[in-house]
Amino acid sequence: MRALSLIFGAASFAAPLLGLLVLWVVVVHAFDVNPRVFPGPGAVGHAALESLRDGTLAAHVGASLARVALGTALAVLVAVPLGVAMGVSQAVSDFLTPLFRFFSVLAGIAWIPIATLWFGYGFGAIVFVIFNAVFFIVAYNTLLGVSTIPKSLRHAAASLGAGRWATLTEVLLPGALPNIVTGIRTGLGFAWRGLIAAEMIATNVGLGYMLFVARDFYRTEVIVFGMIVIGLLWLLIDRLFLAPLERATIERWGLVRAA
Amino acid sequence: MKSLAIRNLSKTYFDAYAAAHVTAVRDVSLEVKEGEFVAIVGPSGCGKTTILNMIAGFIPPSAGEILVDGRAVKGPGPDRGVVFQSHALFPWKTVLENVAFGPKMRGLPRPEREAIAREYIALAGLSHAADRYPNELSGGMQQRVGVARALANHPDVLLMDEPFASVDAQTRMTLQEELTRIWQERRPTILFITHDVGEAVFLADRVVVLSKGRVLKEIDIDLPRPRRWDALIEDDRFKTLSGQVLQLVRSA
Amino acid sequence: MREAADIASPPAASAASPLLAAWSWYVRLTARWPAVRSLVPFVPVVALWWIVAEAGVFPRAFFPSPPDVSRTFVSLIEKGILPEYLEDSVVRLLVGTAAGMAIGIPLGLLVGLSSRAYKALWPIVLFFQAIGDIAWLPILLIWFGFGLTTMTFVIVYTVMFPVIFNTVLGVRSVPTDLRRAALSLGAGRFALLTEVMLPGALPNIMTGLRNGLGYGWRALIAAEMIVGTSGIGFLMFDARRAGSVVEIVLGMIVLGILWYIVDSWILAPIERATGQRWGLTTR
Ligand SMILES: Nc1ncnc2c1ncn2[C@@H]1O[C@H](COP(=O)(O)OP(=O)(O)OP(=O)(O)O)[C@@H](O)[C@H]1O
Ligand SMILES: [Mg+2]
Repeated sequence: MRALSLIFGAASFAAPLLGLLVLWVVVVHAFDVNPRVFPGPGAVGHAALESLRDGTLAAHVGASLARVALGTALAVLVAVPLGVAMGVSQAVSDFLTPLFRFFSVLAGIAWIPIATLWFGYGFGAIVFVIFNAVFFIVAYNTLLGVSTIPKSLRHAAASLGAGRWATLTEVLLPGALPNIVTGIRTGLGFAWRGLIAAEMIATNVGLGYMLFVARDFYRTEVIVFGMIVIGLLWLLIDRLFLAPLERATIERWGLVRAA
Repeated sequence: MKSLAIRNLSKTYFDAYAAAHVTAVRDVSLEVKEGEFVAIVGPSGCGKTTILNMIAGFIPPSAGEILVDGRAVKGPGPDRGVVFQSHALFPWKTVLENVAFGPKMRGLPRPEREAIAREYIALAGLSHAADRYPNELSGGMQQRVGVARALANHPDVLLMDEPFASVDAQTRMTLQEELTRIWQERRPTILFITHDVGEAVFLADRVVVLSKGRVLKEIDIDLPRPRRWDALIEDDRFKTLSGQVLQLVRSA
Repeated sequence: MREAADIASPPAASAASPLLAAWSWYVRLTARWPAVRSLVPFVPVVALWWIVAEAGVFPRAFFPSPPDVSRTFVSLIEKGILPEYLEDSVVRLLVGTAAGMAIGIPLGLLVGLSSRAYKALWPIVLFFQAIGDIAWLPILLIWFGFGLTTMTFVIVYTVMFPVIFNTVLGVRSVPTDLRRAALSLGAGRFALLTEVMLPGALPNIMTGLRNGLGYGWRALIAAEMIVGTSGIGFLMFDARRAGSVVEIVLGMIVLGILWYIVDSWILAPIERATGQRWGLTTR
């Protein structure tokens, strides 16, 4: 019963995408589209197989994912403790909020030029851009989360005998968690885009690079394949990492309604 | 204002989780005459809201028919005004705009519909708050606007689903007295739903006791009008009637 | 505002210490001019930046000082480059945003209101949203070349999806009772849309716009860097090629201020004027 409805759900989700695929085939054939403008599905499939066989796809995907994972992990590890510490005092958080808003506005792509100057083209610059994209937004959201926890909750914890540490772990951190998750989600969205942009500009391996080099040779089938890979990877990150994170915190606690 | 007739009304829901059919309303027949005030009481889950939603046209009946002024009901329409428990005022409209909504839907020009709205806002005693947003009103005021909004559309019958259930006890008494006053002034046909026995007896000409989706009994309330709580609270007839209804509800 | 009166009560504060007196003065000042509160925190940051730059911890070419940046700022304004680039960027953003909303809102309403449209379109929307704007740049460059069309396409694409998502969410979050109330007051389909669904979804649409702009202007910067012929992103990337850090830093500051203005002078007031007065959003 359960499995059946799951399969049915997947099928009804896939149907419109299949429709799109059919439309693609039909349009490319009917209008005899120049492959330098837009490739047919066959050419894209061929490009996919080839990049799988010679290992370039694995190299590009591996490089991109490693950068995102490292930059994001570092940023979250630094930003959350910092945000909680800053949010504990009202005066401190009032003072720092504009600063962090300013820098979270700059997060990501705007750092590409200076990052490539400081670190040179390559791994360092790109991880720096991703770190920036995630760090300021997560720190700002944590700060916001901690400072908007109702006073009554802190008072309740204190009158139930919670000390400083217990208040931190039992009230402040869980209270700010929904904001932290929102921050990670937004930050990762910016980071992912920043990654693709940075890879187009500043490296010689990675998905963005793969697309941009293909452009030089009018290899539209490689470009379209790369776009599909980027889309699928983001869907995977979203479904396997972000959505469960959000379900486990925000939605479960009824802080927002499910989409 | 016109009459309302319900004949052999039934409603069966399909509960997807339990994979079973649930009969919420079974073969209910009921008549509300023109200008009459009828209250339905019953314990939680006995099907009161389901009946009202079918009359309002929000959900289709499984069987039976609903006639307003002799015409069969098909979907929601302005001939049946609804006052909601959740007040359901449009948060982006002021009190005036909320009450003027029905006349606006009838296509009346602005001056005319605002005149009508102001009349009913005054009737509800809220002239001073006409330009406020619902968010800026107390719970009791919100319910008054809800009543004014429904009446300003001149419906044939007024359907009210526990409209006073979420206001405090003092305000509730005031609202009940005001509702009887307005009813006496304008004589709308009202079907009022509540789980509060005192409220039903205080307001209605006739109380219908509902149990597990069926009509258990109808009791005529022959208390004199105008009714006021400070008088009725000591009144023997009121006590007897309330006791009678309460017995029925508790046995339900 | 908070406790301003208590803290500012003169005798206790001024008697205690000059530090407290200064704090009390600051609190009173910011209570009168709230804008000060978001400016003052930048003073120590700029001071620190200045000190580090003057101390020569990093080579000057890599780490310019505030006076360097302000000199460049003045000269770029005098040459007319900065105003021109700024205008280019802002116009692109505005046009792209307007188009993105013009497509996103109706599409969101359609998908949110019709379950058939939802079934047919939602997977496709999700898929294209996942591809993301910047990944389109290479193929757009092949199609349209280095120019305005490419940049506009990217911004429209970026703004559109958050608007669609939030419009759908907004339509869904309109309480059933409000819809029923409108219907039983005689509203038809069209009135239901304009009087109930659209205003009910408005706070969410605003959130969508805000998110969309956040993504959109990053996409713009990226597009200007990669495609660029003008604009702030181009200014920064051109400076990168010439190795001029001053102009890069200047570009970042201009971007930050620009967004600050858009966000707190345009978006936030609209949000306050709608959602908060209606009690639909908190905070
Ligand atoms: N949409 C639905 N699907 C399945 N069952 C439903 C649905 N709506 C109501 N029911 C069931 O129908 C019965 C009657 O519900 P209804 O809401 O009419 O009760 P009520 O008398 O208004 O109760 P209350 O006083 O608590 O408001 C209940 O058993 C309820 O569980
Ligand atoms: Mg009910």
